[in-house]
Amino acid sequence: MKKISNYVSKNILSTTILLVAAFFLFLPLIGATEFSLRDGGPDRHSFRSYKWIFEQSGFKENLGVTFKVTALAVVLNLLIMVPTVTWLHISGQKYRRLVEVVTILPLIIPVVALATGAQTALPSFLHNTVLELSFMYVVIAMPYSYRALDIGMSGKPLNTYVAAARNLGASWLKVLLTVITPCIWPSVLAALFLTVALSLGEFTLAQLLHWSTFPTWVSNVSQENILGATALSVGSLFSAWLLLFGFTFFGSNKTDSSKDKE
Amino acid sequence: MTSTSLKVKGLGRQFGTVLALDNFSIEVPKGELISLLGPSGCGKTTALRIIAGLEKSDAGEVHLNEKNITNVSAHLRNMGMVFQAYSLFPHLNVSENVAFGLKMRKISRSERTKRVNKMLELVGLDHHHKRFAHQLSGGQQQRVALARALVIEPEVLLLDEPLSALDAQVRTNLREEIRRLQIELGTTTLFVTHDQEEAMAISDRVGVMNKGRLEQLDTPDVLYNRPTNDFVASFVGTMNHLPANLVNGTVEIFGKTLPTQKTGNETGKVNVLVRPESIQVTPSETSANATVVTRSFLGAASRVLCKTDDGTIIHSLITNSSSDSLHPGSKVKLEILSREVMVTNV
Repeated sequence: MKKISNYVSKNILSTTILLVAAFFLFLPLIGATEFSLRDGGPDRHSFRSYKWIFEQSGFKENLGVTFKVTALAVVLNLLIMVPTVTWLHISGQKYRRLVEVVTILPLIIPVVALATGAQTALPSFLHNTVLELSFMYVVIAMPYSYRALDIGMSGKPLNTYVAAARNLGASWLKVLLTVITPCIWPSVLAALFLTVALSLGEFTLAQLLHWSTFPTWVSNVSQENILGATALSVGSLFSAWLLLFGFTFFGSNKTDSSKDKE
Repeated sequence: MTSTSLKVKGLGRQFGTVLALDNFSIEVPKGELISLLGPSGCGKTTALRIIAGLEKSDAGEVHLNEKNITNVSAHLRNMGMVFQAYSLFPHLNVSENVAFGLKMRKISRSERTKRVNKMLELVGLDHHHKRFAHQLSGGQQQRVALARALVIEPEVLLLDEPLSALDAQVRTNLREEIRRLQIELGTTTLFVTHDQEEAMAISDRVGVMNKGRLEQLDTPDVLYNRPTNDFVASFVGTMNHLPANLVNGTVEIFGKTLPTQKTGNETGKVNVLVRPESIQVTPSETSANATVVTRSFLGAASRVLCKTDDGTIIHSLITNSSSDSLHPGSKVKLEILSREVMVTNV
């Protein structure tokens, strides 16, 4: 009896916490969605504010820039991080602590300093190219992507897999592409998610480096129309969710095949 | 006529202050199975990894079919390897795992399927094509790993304690199977193990290693009966070390004078090496020279531990019928059955 009452009281507590958390997460969202759909007053609703977004100049161009920067940041991030973390796990164990500290730095260094650093440290041929911002996004996504990949590789006998693959005739590139990456696919996907989410919504660095991206555009156009601004926020939030769900679906399809029971 | 397939010359490797390999040399003729046997940390796995190209050596050379491959990258050496840890790629099924090496060699899909099917049939897993590693037992996983290593038709098969994670029964079956396959396919094989029974059971020759050196390389029979030094004598099987005086190449043990491998008029203190099965234990009250300490039943025989009057512990292995009357505390007479004994200098 005591056990059951314990279970019930524990359950009540966890359900309450969940409900409170859900309330804080969804209520503003529901409120914002409702507000963005208002048409002239609280009683009339339409998609006018959403239509307004598409009518603003620069929507497509800025969204395009953000997508380009995001895609490049994701590719660069994975190209740099997957081999690096693999190496740290296979033969660079003694450098792991150091790398862990280094990957934390983007969280500690103020964005203003990062932006100034970027302008002085990046080679001049990268200035004002999409790569400038992409590189910076790789840097600020590093704390998250490093940890996602590190967790994925920890506890896996990577050394044995690498030795087996090398022994069977796989070059290092093949080892990375055909053995390591599929082995830690959920972690690769997580690193990808985090980089995408971060790049899509990043505002400060873009603004400081004088880039016009989707978030900076949103900030500019929303000065004029409060309903439009809310519609933009709600719209970008749901689009980002949709995109991430898409990745999850695509990713889990791939990982599920390894758990396929005969 | 068999020619040498793998030749390793003077390998050396140091990890910090630990000398893992010290001037290690070995030659493996085509089609032969040689085991490297030794205690943990003796350098046997390091040697194997250097041969496979997975580890760099500080000194020495590796030759394959008369070609120096010391600096050839691991993926170009065409050697098959089975590891101690389960090494099947978790995202690939059995067929895909076995086909991995063939795919890397850009073998056509039809040829791949044919060779994978044949190899899985050979290791008795032809009904498990679509399974993943986590759906297989340890023994099955190692069979797949063996198939994966053999399907590429390697110049040399390297086995790094592939059986040590398995149950006793599976171990015995799989080791017989490895030997059957090795003979059937004629693959030159280097097998690393710390289990002497395993090494003796399936090898053409066994190399005993200690502290990074190859102490003795011989057939299991010679290794057991004529070890060249104390380490090999004690590491391979159980060996009694009895202190004695060498007089003109002979020693006196339990009142019997026996010739040794030493000739001429050598004298001095020596250790006489006697296997447990070469010692006869008979109950005796009058001419007893030892007392039984313990008797353990081993199935086909019994191991009897005796203490001589001077305090030396003697291991003996005798049939159950002759050990029936032996109990701890029984007075016994020990005798050497061999006509000649091995001695080593103290």
